[in-house]
Amino acid sequence: MLTIIIFLPVSGTLALLLTPGGERANEALQKWTALIFALAAFVLSLALPFGMASSGLSFDQNVPWIQAFDLGIKYHVGIDGLSLWLVLLTTLLVPLALISSWNSIHYRLREFLIAVLALEAGMIGVFVAMDLFVFYLFWEVMLVPMYFLIGVWGGERRVYAAVKFVIYTVAGSLLMLAGIISLYYLHGAAAHNYTFDIATITSDLKVHPLPGDAQRWLFWGFGLAFMIKVPLFPFHTWLPDAHVEAPTAGSVILAGVLLKMGTYGLIRFNLPLFPDASREFAPLIATLAVIGIIYGALVAMVQPDMKKLVAYSSVSHLGFVVLGIFSFTEQGMQGAIYQMLNHGISTGALFIIVGMIYERRHTKLISEFGGLGRVMPVYSSLFAVVMLSSIALPMLNGFVGEFLVLIGTFTSSQLAHARLFATLASLGMILSAVYMLWMYQRVIFGEVRNPENLKLADLNGREKLVLAPAIVLIFAMGIYPSVFLSQSAPAVRETLERGSVSILAR
Amino acid sequence: MQPSELGIDYLSILPEIITATAGIVIMMIDAVSRKSQKAVYGLVSLAALVGSALSIFSLRGRIGVTSFRGMIVNDELRLVFALIFLTVTFLTVLISLHWIEEEALPMAEYFALLMFATTGMLFMAAAGDLVMIFLGLEITSISSYVLCGYRRKDTRSNEAAMKYFILGSFSTAFLLYGMALVYGASFEPSMHPAATTNLQLLRDRIAAGQLFSPALLLAGAAMMIVGFGFKVSTAPFHIWSPDVYEGAPTPVTAFLSTGSKAAAFAAFCRVFILTFGIGSVGVATFSVKAPTVFTDLHVTSTHALYVMGALTMFVGNITAVVQSNIKRMLAYSSIAHAGYALVGLVAGDWRAVAFYLISYVVINIGAFAIIELMARKGDKRTEIADYSGIGFQSLGLASALSLFLLSLAGIPLTAGFMAKLLVFKSAWGAGLHGLVIIGVINSAISWYYYLRVIVVMFFSEPAKGFVRPPVARTFSAALVIMILATLYLGIFPGRVLSTLERAGTGVVARK
Repeated sequence: MLTIIIFLPVSGTLALLLTPGGERANEALQKWTALIFALAAFVLSLALPFGMASSGLSFDQNVPWIQAFDLGIKYHVGIDGLSLWLVLLTTLLVPLALISSWNSIHYRLREFLIAVLALEAGMIGVFVAMDLFVFYLFWEVMLVPMYFLIGVWGGERRVYAAVKFVIYTVAGSLLMLAGIISLYYLHGAAAHNYTFDIATITSDLKVHPLPGDAQRWLFWGFGLAFMIKVPLFPFHTWLPDAHVEAPTAGSVILAGVLLKMGTYGLIRFNLPLFPDASREFAPLIATLAVIGIIYGALVAMVQPDMKKLVAYSSVSHLGFVVLGIFSFTEQGMQGAIYQMLNHGISTGALFIIVGMIYERRHTKLISEFGGLGRVMPVYSSLFAVVMLSSIALPMLNGFVGEFLVLIGTFTSSQLAHARLFATLASLGMILSAVYMLWMYQRVIFGEVRNPENLKLADLNGREKLVLAPAIVLIFAMGIYPSVFLSQSAPAVRETLERGSVSILAR
Repeated sequence: MQPSELGIDYLSILPEIITATAGIVIMMIDAVSRKSQKAVYGLVSLAALVGSALSIFSLRGRIGVTSFRGMIVNDELRLVFALIFLTVTFLTVLISLHWIEEEALPMAEYFALLMFATTGMLFMAAAGDLVMIFLGLEITSISSYVLCGYRRKDTRSNEAAMKYFILGSFSTAFLLYGMALVYGASFEPSMHPAATTNLQLLRDRIAAGQLFSPALLLAGAAMMIVGFGFKVSTAPFHIWSPDVYEGAPTPVTAFLSTGSKAAAFAAFCRVFILTFGIGSVGVATFSVKAPTVFTDLHVTSTHALYVMGALTMFVGNITAVVQSNIKRMLAYSSIAHAGYALVGLVAGDWRAVAFYLISYVVINIGAFAIIELMARKGDKRTEIADYSGIGFQSLGLASALSLFLLSLAGIPLTAGFMAKLLVFKSAWGAGLHGLVIIGVINSAISWYYYLRVIVVMFFSEPAKGFVRPPVARTFSAALVIMILATLYLGIFPGRVLSTLERAGTGVVARK
């Protein structure tokens, strides 16, 4: 089942290769082919929540792959409460991204669609991989389509942004490769079973915890890769460049899904595998997270470019996620997972919204706009909902996530100075209201000062269709979060429980 | 002496006989026929390579047999490496056929020299004696000196040949001197023969500590490291390779950077892993019996190779970053790759080295093949700037080149990743954690310059004067083989790996 979901986009790329390329006349055919494959993956993945087992992995598939040299590599995929919603988020955002750039990409359309679908396959693969080798494989392969998305279809400084993105990510992930190899040996020696299987390693390390030094090294080996991806301050500098230069679809996917891979990795690997090191370094990570929250918000405030503003707001929002993870409480981690979904939907939608205005005016500078509320009423009201969700207004989804994170952090008994962190982080919530509302005010309210803005057309049917699912989810997740939280609860408890045993005397 | 005492066994050197004969036949055809026909030479070469490969397969049943009084050893290492060399030459022939015609160079000698070079490489892998290694090395080297200068009217080509010849002879002298010292070190009057260059006997004597002078042995090993280090182009003995690789005709560069390197690694592995017993496996087997001599040799050469490996990776990768000529960049990249393979050597795992080289030869020849096609007559367009914007004009070739470059960088699902994973895994298992970290950091550096070519191809404005090069049928056949092999080794390496694994257990068991 999961394999089918991964390979639907892959077969979509093959189908696209068969379509005649180049001609304008074929564009519709190509776009529909890509969209149908992406939607098929989404429809299939909708079935996933109904087949979840109450604990452990669901939709488990485990096939031996490379056995020679004791490698014990298996093609092992499965999902649990941690990955379920992220898979759905991916399959939802990709069709939205495709529709949102329906008319904006003409240059090398076929290759663009292929890159997006290949990216989708890679992202789903990362979330469902239950073997370290398979995980690493998807993690790395996914870089190539993203690299091309930024580099070919990006803005003016696209080459710089693309190369920076790849080098940052690769530097982190190669250290993770060294970590994976060393984990393979450490676990193999301890458990007498050489394997890359994540579930096996996780449960074995519960019985034979790693020595303190190994934990510290491995924590950073894995952690750096994830922290760069999140991106945690001070590894965040690639993000604004990549976001600003990427085309709308690229930004949506980058913000919506790619960043979540980092936080997902922290939950999946660092906490359960290296519990003592996680606790040891938690104050440091939490400090970085809080710096990220406040710094991201302050920098976002002064951005003249809407896309860059949203990009820095991502740094701020992802800080909440990391803080929640390292609070070691159920509320904190639930909030972190929830916040991952919220951020995917809200920020994805924000990027789509910025993309819509960019398509019309070919500028993203806040100072170019003003008074759009009169010209584009529908646009403005949808913008308002999404923006408020990003600010975390109660009744909307962002509130639930950030609230849980803050409660979890505040009550955390295992994180030193937890109350201080929580207090400072709540400052970030206030700041987010400042920069978002201020941006909204400058773009939407007031008089129309720029005559070019008078002619702008309001949203058409396609654009409303793109934003509709996001708006619905923003309300649904804000009003009735337990549907989502109940699915992830068992996995969160399991992760916390796995990561709780300690060999260090405290 | 009777022939049987000499251990003459022609069957055991059948692969070498076939390739050597093919070389001679090609020259004879050239002598008697009036006009040269590329199809004939090509067919003869390819047929000989296939025949040679078949005879390698037939030798599988005679594993462990030595012949010619220990001169030729038929073990798994030989068979595996022989197949690597034959693959290299096979692909080189395929990518050379149209090139040599376009350049209007004499054909017969070219293919004959390739055959002779292959013969030398095969002998290097099969050598059971230092003298035999030297012979094989010389046959290969002399053929490649000539091949480097094959474009006679081009000064760059001449310079490359001259440089390669002078520096190559110099390093061969080091190697030979090292062999002589090792021979002297093995002197033990009570034994018969008193001194030896036979690797099997050397191993036994080192293991038993029956040596004239351990210090001589160390000096000899050091000299040999220099000699082999030159041949596989590791830092600090790499200075020749960028100039030679840049100046030599591109198909020859492809051949040199893969075949010669693999052959030197075969001998390197045989001497240092299987004879001197480098690597953790060796420690376990030997240390109980003769701690001092062996430990000295082991520790010293491991340290030397460790430093060499680290240095090679850094020098290769960092220098590659600033190159503007694509051939030169790939020359530095191939230095870096020698460094990665050396990591496997330090770990004492020749199977990891062999798999590394299998993957590396396929992707590297692939990259050079496309460069050759783009360069056109006279190797004119070899600047990276010449590649700007060709991505969408010649999508197939540019995508193939991207695949090869990404595979060299080590992206999963391609051969390059599996190769690196295996090497790093062995090294980590052997306790060389630092070397693995260095290797990993270097891989990250290497991404930069491999990506740069892709940036230029896909993200830049098209270069002026670019015409899609015509692709010959033989060339596209070679390209398809290499692309499929790159993906096959990356996605389904299981079969190749398990074959290698079985091969490895055989060698270890006989130690």
